[in-house]
Amino acid sequence: MPPVPPARNLKELPKFRDGLSYLYVEHAFIEQEAQGIGIYDREGLTLVPVAALGVLFLGPGTRITHAAIRALAGNGCTVCWVGEGYARFYAQGLGDTRSALRLQRQARAWADPGLHLEVVYRLYEKRFQEPLPRDFSLEQVRGLEGVRVRAAYARWSRETGVPWKGRSYDRRDWAASDPVNRALSAGAAYLYGLAHAAIVSAGFSPALGFIHTGKLLSFVYDVADLYKTEVLVPAAFLAAAEGDLEVERRVRHRLREQIQEARLLERMVEDLLDLFQGLGLPEEAKEEEEDPTRPGGLWDPEGEVEGGVAYGGDGPGEGAEELEG
Amino acid sequence: MVVMVLEKVPRSLRGELTRWLLELDTGVFVGRVSAVVRELLWEKVVEKAGDGRCAMAWRTNNEQGFALRLHGYQDRVLRDFDGIVLVSVRTAEALRKAEKLKRIAKAVRGDFENQTSE
Repeated sequence: MPPVPPARNLKELPKFRDGLSYLYVEHAFIEQEAQGIGIYDREGLTLVPVAALGVLFLGPGTRITHAAIRALAGNGCTVCWVGEGYARFYAQGLGDTRSALRLQRQARAWADPGLHLEVVYRLYEKRFQEPLPRDFSLEQVRGLEGVRVRAAYARWSRETGVPWKGRSYDRRDWAASDPVNRALSAGAAYLYGLAHAAIVSAGFSPALGFIHTGKLLSFVYDVADLYKTEVLVPAAFLAAAEGDLEVERRVRHRLREQIQEARLLERMVEDLLDLFQGLGLPEEAKEEEEDPTRPGGLWDPEGEVEGGVAYGGDGPGEGAEELEG
Repeated sequence: MVVMVLEKVPRSLRGELTRWLLELDTGVFVGRVSAVVRELLWEKVVEKAGDGRCAMAWRTNNEQGFALRLHGYQDRVLRDFDGIVLVSVRTAEALRKAEKLKRIAKAVRGDFENQTSE
């Protein structure tokens, strides 16, 4: 694999990594409050530093105003409604980037079988300490991955003393699972939300997944899986080791500690960019957006032509409005 | 890095703090002291504040990058959102909304009970 170029001009990278990961709110009104976001609940009014926030999770009993959603979207904060059984309803503002260049690179890598396979290998490779043997078939890699995940569960079960009888969950009956499985499911909802926020923030599509395909959040699962054994598994086992009651609340706390220890906010966007680096696709040289309101280009089989120009008129450069008027 | 904000406290306390910290503005102290000194200073502040109010923020290695402490505030509390600490203020508007929230919760519960009894 080519080494990662150290120098990048990435305005959105610092923004995501310097922020807070997530905030969970339930039984509250969320309103715009003097240009900021205010949470009204039993304790009073709490102002939220929303520009620095990756995801706002809204639990049961939350009411949010149009103005608040607009302010959240304007600050590139992803909003997730988390419901009973931690099913997620996503919303997203536009990311911090207005360029479609990264999304186009993702789409090209996705559509080309050779490049697609390369990205799949890179995704798997990021999870292992040692480099993966290149002559392994995908089937063999998936086998290795299964062993790796089982070893992680066994290790954390040993370290925390929480018994592990395998990953099991009933989609229809949340309470039927054992506490550590409930913690894993609840924690996964938060990890997915964070991966979603990173993907949108960096200007990629959550739908174009490489290992996972066919779902609108396939790429979210690809990215979140990179960090599951590192942050989610310890968080869930540590939360379960503290007792059975309110394990869903405690896993939010533990997950935050693990995320900080693993420097996840910093790594997520970096890892995303690494995936499509050096694939022979148009590189990010002209990535810099001096003017986000500049019109995009027009597609042509010979290569992109300049947009925001009226073609077919007598004088090139005539405005479109003039033509119509 | 430590920041302390003191309001309506005895002058002697402010004077004492200037031995360790710099008084940037009236009642606003900034400085860099060890964790032990910080804790001892806070103890002293709480002990001598009387009816005054004090707030302290210091840099620490958590996700927010700092931690907070309040003393003597009637309308402000620190809230821990699963590891993120924010400040809640009890304003008249907030109290009105809290009442409304309670009414809604009761109504929802009522609906639920009606549904299950049917």
